Amino acid sequence: MIDQTMIPDIDPIALPAPIWLLKFLLLLTFTLHILAMNVAVGGGFVAAFTEYFGRKKKSQNHFELSRGIAKMLPPFTAFTITLGVAPLLFLQVLYGQFFYTSTILMAWPWLSVIVIFILAYYGYYIFSFRWEKLNGKRFWAVLISATMLATIGLIYVNNIVLMLTPDKWKAMYFANPHGTHMNFDDATLIPRYLHYIISALAVAGVVVIMWGMRKLKSDEQLGKWAIRYGAWWFLIPTFINIGVGVWWLIALPREFMLMFMGGNQLATGYFLVGLASIFVCIMLMFVGMNASKPIGKIMAAKLFFLITIVTMILMRHELREAYLKPYINWDAVQTEPQWGVIIIFALLLVGGLITVIWMLKKSFGKPAIN
Amino acid sequence: MNYPFWDIPFIGGGMLIGFVAIIHTFVAQFAIGGGLFLVLTERKAYRENNPKIIDYLKIHSKFFILLTLVFGALTGVAIWFTIGLVTPMATSSLIHIFVWGWAIEWVFFFIEIAAAMIYYYTWDKLDRKTHIAIGWIYFIAAWMSLFVINGILTFMLTPGDWLQTKSFWDGFFNPTMLPSLVIRTAVTIALAGLYALLTSSFMKDDELRTTMIKYSSKWILVPFFVLPFGGLWYVLSIPTLSFDIIAGGAPAITIFVALGVFFSVIIFIFAYFLPYRVPHRFSAALAFMFLMLGLFVMGVSEMVREAIRKPYIIYDYMYSNNVFKTEADKFKTAGILPSSKWTHVKSADDANIMKAGEQVFKLQCQSCHTVQGYNGIKILTKGWQEPFIENQIEHLNQLKGFMPPFMGSESEKKALAKWLYELNKTEQIIRNQ
Repeated sequence: MIDQTMIPDIDPIALPAPIWLLKFLLLLTFTLHILAMNVAVGGGFVAAFTEYFGRKKKSQNHFELSRGIAKMLPPFTAFTITLGVAPLLFLQVLYGQFFYTSTILMAWPWLSVIVIFILAYYGYYIFSFRWEKLNGKRFWAVLISATMLATIGLIYVNNIVLMLTPDKWKAMYFANPHGTHMNFDDATLIPRYLHYIISALAVAGVVVIMWGMRKLKSDEQLGKWAIRYGAWWFLIPTFINIGVGVWWLIALPREFMLMFMGGNQLATGYFLVGLASIFVCIMLMFVGMNASKPIGKIMAAKLFFLITIVTMILMRHELREAYLKPYINWDAVQTEPQWGVIIIFALLLVGGLITVIWMLKKSFGKPAIN
Repeated sequence: MNYPFWDIPFIGGGMLIGFVAIIHTFVAQFAIGGGLFLVLTERKAYRENNPKIIDYLKIHSKFFILLTLVFGALTGVAIWFTIGLVTPMATSSLIHIFVWGWAIEWVFFFIEIAAAMIYYYTWDKLDRKTHIAIGWIYFIAAWMSLFVINGILTFMLTPGDWLQTKSFWDGFFNPTMLPSLVIRTAVTIALAGLYALLTSSFMKDDELRTTMIKYSSKWILVPFFVLPFGGLWYVLSIPTLSFDIIAGGAPAITIFVALGVFFSVIIFIFAYFLPYRVPHRFSAALAFMFLMLGLFVMGVSEMVREAIRKPYIIYDYMYSNNVFKTEADKFKTAGILPSSKWTHVKSADDANIMKAGEQVFKLQCQSCHTVQGYNGIKILTKGWQEPFIENQIEHLNQLKGFMPPFMGSESEKKALAKWLYELNKTEQIIRNQ
């Protein structure tokens, strides 16, 4: 028998939008956040190992790439934060009664995220702004920062899984109300976390490939090297991740595992599309990395990779809904959409995107003569 | 009652929120005024054809992004984390009422961060006009995010017509929204001056340093002509009880207000006589001292702003201890223990009186009080006899206007009084012997 008395009552104020719209925005902004986070975290690790290999092999290519990633890390870290705020907002409005509770149980680790993030972010700025001066210390600067960011991911996964398992809360809170818990006894936690972090390496690999494609014009040798190098960073983690994904699937409670194997048509559908697209993506990547004209194939591979990421996020969402099904009845949740404000938000969002695109276009355009 | 209570010994949740909020506001408001400072100063440099000022701005803008994009942005997230942990009920209300306000604020935040990065990275890349345009985009987005957050923050003190209509716009354009916006905008400009004083005083070129110090001091002086009017307007718009709290109802808060005003005047006078009149004698150490004074004034005014909202967290809607105003009567008759999800103790009787008292304290009082520490209840009730404590609890809201009424049954009140009395009793016995 599930003890539901511990779950806080739903907020008496009706949701100010249709549930589908809030869920859509949650998933959309989370996808964008994950992509930026993958570049910021995965990119940090790739930069660290690229430094290491560069030093061992005395390879200029590696250093050029390290310098290139160094320039990317601070902006992508900034995007990780800004794009992370939105899904956290929509998560709170939709699942607040679960999220706040699990967060309180692990309050101190949760708050430590801020301190770790500030330190890691400054570490990235040091790596970026003092790239030349750091020289031999570059490996450590970027590795430590990336590891700190990866630790934040671990704390997040702890909380996001804990919010799905309300039956554990009572014992935790009565054992200790000071907010120092973690959730490591959940069998799905480690594979779930590794699945995210390893895919961050793969996404960073794709970013290296894109960097290489940009370089093709100015320095063909460097560009081709970077495309092959990035492709390996994509391929090896992806192969490992297929194994980790299976581990996660098996670690899930049996009914949730079966959900992806025919138990739930939608969840199974996402899974099949995800598997098919990552298969196509790997094939295209193999062909593209060795091709004399790689751009078309690699762009297609990127598209299939994006499809895979989206289906994985949709699967993650279905899993959350399945976990919470006994505790929340969406049909009973009241909504009173504030359409006026929603329209203003939509217009501002479009205007904001146009503004940012305009600024980026200007800044990546030809240098002007002052 | 709904959420588990996060027990933070010694400092308490309120203090933690205050700490995070003050350091965030001090940097975030600089991020807004500092944007205006950057564009207007850049324009001045081109108009006066003074490339040295551009050199200064390149350094200042690096300091600016390192401080605001990293520390400012993340401490902002930290406030959000902290209020969710300490006052989940109120946070949930603010998120439900204003989710689209937050979403709009997020759009501006996104533009702001992108513009700040691009502004910094394109000093030598873009033509002057475009670079200044990006600076303006930055400032407008940053100010708009203040505009949105200010509406939500002031809502907590003066929800106005929202209490009846439950309309987003009534809550947002509430009675203190505009006066607060005027004050905060003026403060952002003064802060831009304070921070610019610091970076200016590090310039090696004597002429540049003197020019920039004098120029920065004007940024501090000008807003001070607006602040008294904004302050007056604000005070006239707040609820009567809040006014009483400032005007002597809670002596500590009155002292805070006086300190805030006093040190603001000090900043103004010193800004005039030092960096404005004798900029060549100004030093980095003095600039740092100015900045610390600014932090102090910001600290006391934020604490006053929090204090005058008592006994509510959202005025006339939710009490400081996360209880809906409409629920108070229910708890008085049915008791708070049976209505709470996160306690073992479900009723108070003679057998479990101490345990029940402790739980009632946790549920009703610990949002503002610690046992021993900040606003510690042990010291506050020292020397009180049990019947006296009971009487105080009974008339809490009449005796201390800034406290919510006690919301619990007769037996719960007795249990709380007993537990509070026992806190000091052991010591008293030892002392009497």
